[in-house]
Amino acid sequence: MEDLVAYFTLIGFGPAGWGVPLARAASMTVAVSLSAFGVGIVFGMVGCWAKLSRSVVAHGAATVYTTVLRGVPDLLVIYLLYFGGSQAIGAIARAFGHQGFFGLNGFVVGMMAVGIISGAYQTEVLRGAYLAIPRGELEAARVAGMGRLLMLRRIIAPQILRFALPGMGNVWQLVLKESALISVVGLIEIMNQTRLAVGRTGAAFSFYITGAILFLLITTFSGAAFRRAEAWAMRGMGGRVRA
Amino acid sequence: MSKLASLAIAVVAVLPLAAAPALGKDWTTLKIATEGAYPPFNSVTPDGKVVGFEPELLDIVCERAKLKCETVIQEWKGIIPGLLAGKYDAIMSGMSVTPKRLEVIDFSIPYTNSPSTYAVLKSSPLLKALGEDKRVMLTDDAAAKASAAADSKALAGKVLAIQTATIQADFAKTYLPEVKTRVYETTQEEDLDLKAGRVDAIFASASSLVATLEQSKGEIVLAGPKYYGGLFGLGSAFGIQKGQPELKAKLDAAIKSCIDDGTIKKLAEKWFHVDTTPRQ
Repeated sequence: MEDLVAYFTLIGFGPAGWGVPLARAASMTVAVSLSAFGVGIVFGMVGCWAKLSRSVVAHGAATVYTTVLRGVPDLLVIYLLYFGGSQAIGAIARAFGHQGFFGLNGFVVGMMAVGIISGAYQTEVLRGAYLAIPRGELEAARVAGMGRLLMLRRIIAPQILRFALPGMGNVWQLVLKESALISVVGLIEIMNQTRLAVGRTGAAFSFYITGAILFLLITTFSGAAFRRAEAWAMRGMGGRVRA
Repeated sequence: MSKLASLAIAVVAVLPLAAAPALGKDWTTLKIATEGAYPPFNSVTPDGKVVGFEPELLDIVCERAKLKCETVIQEWKGIIPGLLAGKYDAIMSGMSVTPKRLEVIDFSIPYTNSPSTYAVLKSSPLLKALGEDKRVMLTDDAAAKASAAADSKALAGKVLAIQTATIQADFAKTYLPEVKTRVYETTQEEDLDLKAGRVDAIFASASSLVATLEQSKGEIVLAGPKYYGGLFGLGSAFGIQKGQPELKAKLDAAIKSCIDDGTIKKLAEKWFHVDTTPRQ
């Protein structure tokens, strides 16, 4: 009982409690994950278009992208962008006579790194979803005289969404967990904040378990959101998914 | 396309110039990186303030060097790459001056020099086996080797915890090659595993072990000889990019005045319970 009181004092919102920084760190995790997920969808859409395209160059580039990004450690991509990126930019800028600091913002680098990595997975998810659309429907739409945009809006996009949502839910969980790697760029998200708190207090179990609970809360809520979205996308399809 | 190509060629052609040292800079502001998880050197409070020996010393150094200083928190793993990438101007994070680090960065003169030693559980037989608290200078090669041999004997069949990329890790590799070691990312992990019994002793700098001892409430104690000099270098200093003589001169002068007037002794006794003023 005493231990429990001590625990809640430690992670609480009192003067000596770590509640405020932990809450701030949790919102940072959500913010950077959401942004990275958004970037990933954009990369995934472009990648999916390129992979399905008849152009050899576009198809080749997309294959290289998904193969490389899914094949190298995520931490390496983050290091490359954060440290390598600003060294490269700095070197180019100095070459043109500029001096001083050329930093890439930690949030932006983290968002881009995780976004680019998750984009490689999104590419495959979206491609799979597109290929799952019955060919007959596309042919029927063409025969009915639909233009490409109308066909995209009425036939392709709604069905891609329906088929892709479960896969995108997986990618979202991946992004959320990868956000912990972004702590190396100095962003104070859940992982980094718990590390700092453990460094200060030595209460490793209390803080790491709290960090785990925070991640679980986020995944639980977002999991529920994805199930609702799936139910919505599947409406009228025989209710195979329950909210 | 040809315009783009010529631009690319121009960039590639002048890239080597970028490696040349920057021209003399008039330093008025300074961005400093710290790990923020290495008490009592530096640690972060719930309201995000960095406290410890280093931030207090930094305030005085910056005032004497007439610099406006800003501190950023950076994980230890990426702290030198961050400096090289220009994320900040200096590192103040209990970083020892070593020949290996000198290959990539420059250092100010040291502001603290703490011995390296062992920490064990109070109940451990190693407390006796590692022998008495004596001063061993690595510059005295014979004495250092004899002492390390005695340590190796005491540690036979035991596991020693060391932190990755530290001079203590280099020491273990060079002087204690027969001792089984486990490498850790942070000092907290070492403390936890010592308590959990996964390792039998920690080898680290005495000043970084202060936090371990305090947090353990008497459960963990120091043991064995205290090693100085040689491989352990001159102590901790500001890490700066190469080719910044103006910055080095400014920091050196401010540190020297803090050594001379006893400021460092006062701060070290407050935070480390031992005077760690560097002496040449």
